[in-house]
This record gives sequence, structure tokens and C-alpha cells, in this order.
Amino acid sequence: MRKTLFYVPLVLFLGLSLFLLSGLFSDPRERDAVMVGKPLPAFSLPDLMNPEQVWSPETLKGEAFLLNVWGIWCPTCNAELGYMSQLRNEQGVRIIGLYYVLPEDPMFGEVFDLAKLQVDVQSRLQAFGDPYQFNILDRQRRLSMDLGVSGAPEHFIVDAKGIVRAHHIGDINPQVWRAKLAPIYQQWAGKP
Amino acid sequence: MIPELGQLALTFALAFSIILAIVPLMGSFTANERALLVAKPLAMGMFVFTLLAFCALSWAFYHDDFTVLNVANNSSSVLPWYFKLTAVWGSHEGSMLMWVMILAAWTALVGQYSKGLPLLMQGRILGVMGLINIGFIAFSLFMSNPFERTLPFFPVEGSDLNPLLQDYGMIIHPPLLYMGYVGFAVSFAFAIAALIGGKFDSTWARWARPWTLAAWLFLTLGIMLGSWWAYKELGWGGWWFWDPVENASFMPWLVGTALIHSLAVTEKRGTFKSWTVLLALGAFSLSLLGAFLVRSGVLVSVHSFAADPERGVFLLIFLLIVIGGSLLLYASRMHSVRSQARYEIFSREVMLWGNNVFLLTATLVVLLGTLFPLVHKELGLGSISIGEPFFNQMFYYLNIPFALLLGLGPWVRWKQQKAAPLLKPMALIAVFSLILALGTMAATQTVAANLALLGLLLGAWVGVSAIMEVYQRLQQFGSITQGVAKLQASHYGMTIAHIGFAVMIVGIAMTLTYSEERDVRMEIGDRVVLAGYEFELQDVYKLNGPNYGGEAAEIDVRRVDGRYVTHLHAEKREYTIQRMVMTEAAIHARLSRDLYVSLGEALPGNAWAIRVYVKPFVRWIWLGGLLMSLGALIALLDKRYRRKTTTGGAAYA
Repeated sequence: MRKTLFYVPLVLFLGLSLFLLSGLFSDPRERDAVMVGKPLPAFSLPDLMNPEQVWSPETLKGEAFLLNVWGIWCPTCNAELGYMSQLRNEQGVRIIGLYYVLPEDPMFGEVFDLAKLQVDVQSRLQAFGDPYQFNILDRQRRLSMDLGVSGAPEHFIVDAKGIVRAHHIGDINPQVWRAKLAPIYQQWAGKP
Repeated sequence: MIPELGQLALTFALAFSIILAIVPLMGSFTANERALLVAKPLAMGMFVFTLLAFCALSWAFYHDDFTVLNVANNSSSVLPWYFKLTAVWGSHEGSMLMWVMILAAWTALVGQYSKGLPLLMQGRILGVMGLINIGFIAFSLFMSNPFERTLPFFPVEGSDLNPLLQDYGMIIHPPLLYMGYVGFAVSFAFAIAALIGGKFDSTWARWARPWTLAAWLFLTLGIMLGSWWAYKELGWGGWWFWDPVENASFMPWLVGTALIHSLAVTEKRGTFKSWTVLLALGAFSLSLLGAFLVRSGVLVSVHSFAADPERGVFLLIFLLIVIGGSLLLYASRMHSVRSQARYEIFSREVMLWGNNVFLLTATLVVLLGTLFPLVHKELGLGSISIGEPFFNQMFYYLNIPFALLLGLGPWVRWKQQKAAPLLKPMALIAVFSLILALGTMAATQTVAANLALLGLLLGAWVGVSAIMEVYQRLQQFGSITQGVAKLQASHYGMTIAHIGFAVMIVGIAMTLTYSEERDVRMEIGDRVVLAGYEFELQDVYKLNGPNYGGEAAEIDVRRVDGRYVTHLHAEKREYTIQRMVMTEAAIHARLSRDLYVSLGEALPGNAWAIRVYVKPFVRWIWLGGLLMSLGALIALLDKRYRRKTTTGGAAYA
């Protein structure tokens, strides 16, 4: 009995190192989305290109979609436009953009100019590809906040009933799509 | 050329460490005296070559040699020369080299100052140090080479040192901290050498004590400096964040503190042997764990270096060998060792046992708080975070019994103590501390039953008890004047360190309770009143530093009755190469309070966001840490650690 007692520190240490080993190969910054399994938060926001059109969770229901938080100020978001367009064209993935407006700094004379933004977005989409069915304009960034967005790009898979099924931080590339998002999307979109 | 020579020197150091790890250890089993005798020169040689490597890297930094990748990434030509030199340890690779150099320096020091040790012990200790050196030199050389070149396409300008590190506190914070971490390698090597020999007596504890004290001294100073730097540099007046890496330095400190106390029992009474050895292994193991946490990227922290799983795997294997191996040795050797000494329930032994229990509980709390999120996530239970409230609450509850015990402990005798003779002095101390605490409260704030009062009471209890204990001890020598010279240095050291702890409790409790802060929008000429001080923004102008621009604010501070207090100069620097904004808070420090102003963003209409703090007694926190270090220094100077041992040397086998 006394003899085994002296092995306790060793056993504890070996147990700990197992966790350290597995910890090495996972990203400490990865966070589980609190949104998964919950309905989209309530919102009522205008369309980016056609501000008279107002979108709310009700109007998005009916078909599963991929919600992409992005902005033209975000290079990674621009980079993934091409692959996402491919997803839309080849696999018929329904992609809706949530346009994240950067806060303006009045110090530098910045003001929000919707017309200019529309032109900029249009030219960017022409250059890189347009995967979006439409874009929701999150002018006050409130919906992004409610969704727990920490940066751009981020993606949410939302099912036909408006329930968030997945949250992916970072860009979508062929590997991420195939390994992580496609199975979830197919499950909820009911498509092969 | 010079960087290549540095790399060559590091390679030589690796060769030295390998020989050091093999020859003397082998010699110790075959009783080959000549093999044991080479340990000392090998240790010295290893140190010289790591020092050369370190100098070579410093040279590259000093001369802006951007063909060296590490220099290009962490320095720039516009950096002042002293920051160029400190940039050497501003990166993972450079700091690893410094770690290696300090480890080799400790090894050489042990070689130089172990004349009193039997040759066999000497060889084993240095051999174990050599083993540890192999791991770190190899890690530096193969996994994070600081001398890697950018050739043939090298940048003409470096990407500058992280502005957070461009501060005087940063010049000595990492070296001191590393001296502490690595210093515990010496206690570790002593413990392993004793485990191999299978003999633990009071001489062993006496040899290990000064080395442990020295490591603990540096670790204390390093942590204190880090805390002070964070307070000054991060711009929001906090001094401890329970950041995973702070915790990683705090754990070896707690175990080191327990080790110092446990060693006292082993030296004086020959008991607690298995406990002391475990603590000696634990202190260094936790230092290694800390290095792993910082350098492998398993945790997110402001301190982490870039994550690289390969480095992590190397370090983890090293950890498994060093910690796992030592614990296995411990388990297989230690169970047969028994202590003979007897002691009663109320005795110094039990008091110190209590000290160890509390310190280890605290370590466990920190360890769990730091690693639980990782474990939780790896078990697939999702990510969680454990923050300040958990640690603060746990330490609040742990501190109360710990401080009460600390006030009583030094009065209690070894073996057995009768309760009756202590009643009177204890009652006296209790009354004194009550008066002192309430008096301080009434003088600085209003008297209220809160955390501050509790902190003052505990602080006064510990402090008054420490002072009266020395006084009573001195009286026993006949007269006070005679006693002052006769009392051992280590006793003074203990008393000063305990007073340091008291001072720190008071500082923490007062700061937590009475700090006031305010975020205000100020135009030039505006005034804001906080805790009886009136801050007036006099001017804001553009800054023009060597590698930064930004703004500076001039602020006058008066008492509310109009008495002039001081002038403050706060800066907000924008470092041009790294594009980072740093606050240089303006601080007016007095023992009773700090006035702290940091300059924030410019607001529309020629105004600025300004943050003002009044933090009572915050200096006491660092003063307490300094006193603890001073106590360790004085204890180190105790004559009995330098007395030569002439007996028992040959008996080790």
C-alpha cells in the first residue's frame, strides 16, 4: 500500500501528459459556437443592393442556406468568393451574404455612403465571383454581434426552419467544405 | 560569419553537455575518480560555449544583421541600442538561447561552489544538470535555431521589436524569471543525485537549501517585475491577470516556497524526506510544464510564442523523460526511506506541514484553473474559460487560514510545544494588530467591515507576530544588543520575508477595495475630480520618437483644496513599423497611493479619452515581493551554508 502511494505522482503526470499531447494537435482558439442548435436571432435588416427589401428570419425560411459574414475590406473573404461561387453553380448551395460594415472613424472624415459601397461590392463580386443569392446589410453590426461573430469571414449553416446547424470560423476552401461543412449542409438541405 | 560561429559554439556546447551527462554519471557508479573530476571543467566549458553563442546572437542584433532571420523578425535599425540587445530575448528562438545560457551558467556555478560536496555527489549533480542541458541545447539547435539565415534574399529593414517589449522592465524581467525557473533545475539535480545514492540526511538538505533559495529569489523578483511592467505598460492599472503563463510562473513559485519550508524541516529535524524530494522534483517539473505551455501553443495567452506542434512534441517528449523518469526513480527509491524523528501534534513540524498543505492546495487550484479548460475541451465537453473570479475566490479562502498559521508558526518549537506559554504573546499580537488595522483604516479611509479590514488584520497579524518573534528571540540571548549579532542570518531572512508577505496582503486588499477609476472625455483645460484629487488636462501634443509617433498629454494634479501635487506626462505611442498603439501611463507613486493616468483615443471636437485611476497601497504589493526577495538574499548569506563538510563524504555510494 505504502509502496503504491509513491507511484501516484507518476500516474498523475502521465495522465496529464495525455491531455497535453492531444492539446498540441487542436487549435486553442477554436471555440464551439453557442449558436448551434438555436434559431437565428431576431432581426430586420435591409438588402444591400435593394434597401427597400427588408429581411428577417421569417423571410429566410423554407430552404437551408449558408450564411457568410464578410466585407470587401477583408482579403480572406475576397479570396473565398471564387470557391463559393463554384459551390453555388456546381452544387446549388444557397449562399446568403451578411455584409459587415466596418465602423467609420469620424476623425478621418469617414461617413457611411451606401451608393459607394454598392458600387464597390458590385465591382468586387464581378472580379472574384458572386456566390450570393443576396446580401443582408448589417449596418449597426448587431446581427453579427448576436451571432457571436469574432471576425470575418465566418459561416453559419442554417436549416429550412431557421435553426443554426453549424458555425465555421475562417474561410471555406475545398478541404474545409468537404471535411467539415458539406456533410452538415447535405444533412439539412436534404440534397445529395 | 559571426552567426555561424555562434551556431558552432552552440554545437560545441551540446557536445560538452553530452559528455557531462555520460562520463561523471558513469564514473559515479564505477567509482572512477578521474571520471568524476572532469565534471567541473566540462560544466565550465559548456557554459563558455553557450555564452559565446549568446554573444554571437547579441552581436548580430547590435549590428542590425538582417540576414539573420531572428534579427530581421524582431529588431530594426531605428531601435535604440539597448532595445536591440534586449530584442535578443524578445522572440522564442532568442529567449530559448538565453534559457540555455542561464542553465549552463547555473551548472557552472554549481561546479564552482560545490567544493564542500563529496566528489561523488558533485559528479552526479553535474551529470544530471548535463542531461537537462542536452535537452534544451538540442531544442534550441534543432527545433528553434536562432542563427537561421534569410540569405540570399534578406530584408533591408527589420520588422521591429514588439512595442510591448520596448520597456526597461522588459530588459530584466525575462532574465530574472529564467534564472528562477532554471535555478530549480539545481534543486532537481540535488534531489535526483540523492535518489540515486539512496541517502537523505540533513547535510543533503543543507546543501540544497541555498540553491533553492537563490532560484526562488530570482523567480520572486522576476514575477514582481512582470507584474509591475504589466501595470505600467498595459494601460489599465491591473497588476495580475491570472493569464495561463503568469500561472505557469506562479506554480513553480508556490511549490518552491513550500520546498524552502520543507527543506528547513529536513535539515533541522531529518524528517519530511520523501515530501521534500517530491517538492524539489515538482518545482522544476512545473517550470518545465510552464515552458511547454508557453512554447507549444496549447494555451492562448499574451505571452505565447507562435505555435508549432513539432516543437511541442519535442518538449513533451523531453518532459516525459525528465519528469516521468524522475518520478519513476522517486517511486522506486523513496518508499523504503523512513523518518525516525518523533513530534507532537502541536509542534513546528506540524506548522510547516500546514504551510505545505496550503501552498500545495494553492498550486493545485492554479494548475486546475489553468489546465481544466484544456482537459475539458480534449474530453469533447466543449470549450470553457476559467477566469479571475475563480482564482480570486479560491485565493481569498486559502489566504485566511494560511496567514493565521503564518502568524503562529514561527513561535512554535520543534518536536513539541505547550500551548500555555504562547497564549500571552498571541493575545498581545492579536490586540496590537487590531489596533494597527483599525488605526490604518481610520487614517486612510473610513472604517468599514470589508475586504480591506480583513487584509489589514491578517497583514498586521503576520507582521506584528514576525517582529515580536524576533524581539523575543533576541531577548533570549541575554541582551538585545548581544542578540542582534548572534541571531542567524537565515532567521532575519525568514522574518523579513514574512513581513513581505504581510505587506503584500495589505497591498492587495487595500487596492482591491479602494481603487477608483474613471474614463472621461477631456478637452484642454478640463478638470476631473477623483478620490480627492483634481486632474487638469493642460496640453496634448504630437510625439516624435525614434521608431514611434503618437501623442503626449500633460496633466496637473492638485488636491481638491488647491494644493499642488504633481505633474503627469502620459503618452500614447504609435509604433510605425509594427503598427501598434501602446500606452505609456503616467504614474505618480507614493506608499499610500498611486495616481495613474493613461491617454486614450482622440475624440471628435479636440478632445481625448482619458482614464484616471487612484489606487491606494498598490505599491505595497511589489514592496512585499521585494521584501520577500530581500529575505531570501539575507538567508542565503547565512554562514552555515558556507561551512565545509568534512564528514560523511566518502560514505555516499
